[in-house]
Amino acid sequence: MTRTDDIKKYLIEQFLLDTTVEDLADDYDLLANGVVDSLGLLTLVSWLESEYRLDIDALDIAPENFRTAAAINAFLEQAQAVPDGTR
Amino acid sequence: MLSSSLSNRIAEQARTRPAAPALLWHSGEVTYAELHAMAGAAAARLTALGLPHGRPAAMVAKKSPEAIAVVLACLTLGQPVLLPSPELGAETLSTLLERCAAGRLPAPEELTDGHEPADGHEPADGAELISNEPAPGEPDPQEVALLLTTSGSTGLPKVVPLTTGAVDRFTDWAADHFGIGPDTTVLNYAPLNFDLCLLDIWTTLSRGGCVALVDPDLATNPAHLLALFRQRPIQVVQGVPMLYQLLTRAARTDEAAAALAEVRHAVLTGDAISERAFAPLPQLLPKADFHNVYGCTETNDSFIHPIDPVDPMPHGTVPIGEPVRGVKALLLAEDGSELAGPGLGELLVRTPFQTTGYLDAELDRGVFTERADGRYYRTGDLVRRHPDGVLTLEGRRDFVVKVRGVRVNTTEVEAALCSHPEAVEAAVLAVPDEVAGTRLHAVVQRAAGSSLNSLELRQAAAGLLPRAAIPTTVELVDTALPRTGTGKLDRKAVLRASRHARGQSPTTTPAGG
Repeated sequence: MTRTDDIKKYLIEQFLLDTTVEDLADDYDLLANGVVDSLGLLTLVSWLESEYRLDIDALDIAPENFRTAAAINAFLEQAQAVPDGTR
Repeated sequence: MLSSSLSNRIAEQARTRPAAPALLWHSGEVTYAELHAMAGAAAARLTALGLPHGRPAAMVAKKSPEAIAVVLACLTLGQPVLLPSPELGAETLSTLLERCAAGRLPAPEELTDGHEPADGHEPADGAELISNEPAPGEPDPQEVALLLTTSGSTGLPKVVPLTTGAVDRFTDWAADHFGIGPDTTVLNYAPLNFDLCLLDIWTTLSRGGCVALVDPDLATNPAHLLALFRQRPIQVVQGVPMLYQLLTRAARTDEAAAALAEVRHAVLTGDAISERAFAPLPQLLPKADFHNVYGCTETNDSFIHPIDPVDPMPHGTVPIGEPVRGVKALLLAEDGSELAGPGLGELLVRTPFQTTGYLDAELDRGVFTERADGRYYRTGDLVRRHPDGVLTLEGRRDFVVKVRGVRVNTTEVEAALCSHPEAVEAAVLAVPDEVAGTRLHAVVQRAAGSSLNSLELRQAAAGLLPRAAIPTTVELVDTALPRTGTGKLDRKAVLRASRHARGQSPTTTPAGG
């Protein structure tokens, strides 16, 4: 399974999407379609932090970074590429 | 003469205490002099552009110091300002502005930058604006100052005009009740278009206090909230139960907890808080008095109840309390007679702060009613008067529930879901949620042989509904939804049979502003 699939699997379980990884498109708009709301965003961010051992800066919690499964994956790639001396 | 109106009071603060902080925003501070200068620049630009004579000016913008300065400029000029939610869909917004004959203002940043435009400018949407001289001196208390909108789930929001007099009477009461003065810092959590801002922003500024502005984009970010408390001790906090959940989460360290400790008044409003969500609050805000406030956009704060931390829910829920100073209220039984003793009835209120009626007077019918002592607002909320005289909310006489401060009519959400050709029938239920207060759960029967999934259905509904009205969970079933003996959709039975909401009972979350 790719990382995007892992993200989708989490989204489906956490937000009770009642669907399969295959049915959830990479570019499905999670925000506009009300899957991830502002509180859901916080839950998602804490999961990403623990799952991918990240320390997501408060200012990066911009909804745009989490609009689609693909965007979340791209955000993770970027976040992991930044060397962080604090960990 | 001492000025009494909002805009003059704020101007007076700028004259007498120019260096005092008016706004906190993203770790920066805006002084009264700076706010006044921004408002002055905006007033000059607006005058140069020409004000929409006798029509509202619409400010469609997110909360920011600039946006507040533009509202202030309009108040100073005697220009009624319409504040629609910046989250409205483009189509709904343009219909709303058209119905109100409102001219849309340029972006607040553009209006407040203080530079004269090089050439003749037109407002963003090209509306015809006719020049109008600024209104000097005290504004007429009968004139409309602000036009707020009610949160509707579908269709157009209703426009609620508030006069200068109504706003000033409100700030008089609120400043007095919560002790808001020059040394007070008040947290503003609600978006700028919510009536809650009459307390957080406008009462505070009118009394020379400081408003700690929460950026709506970061409103669920505990770190952002905590940063404001660290910047300056905050004495007054008002918000929906979710805000207090976030603060509880934010206070994970001793240092963080200490930053919250100066709160003297914590106002809970907009949704019923659960016993479990309230439990940690007295310890979280050790010096605070807790107030449950009941009100809505049409009437503003109507009832207030001091919550007893030892026994917060004497009848299983937080009481709505006593009418606010100057407010009249009564309960109407189903037969239309006034309920004198204990029992259940619809709450009618009349407040010194209420609207003169919706901008579209057609909408007033059945909502505002004339009685011997004046005009009352029918809240639609069912209230029980207990034998000890305590009032509690029991539910609605319609299908309106409140989801994080936004009124949602669940039958309209059901209709939106059924707009998908493969959806046969939908039941939308409000279920209690520990963090959010209330969330919507939908159970939808799909057509025989259909492979419709929740993602497609959400997409169809999202085009018709504002974000808050899209159900948190959507469950598809292939069998008919349960019906009552009389053949009506049995929502309670739907909920009992639901996979995702099992064991939950529908909430009787009150609607309000």
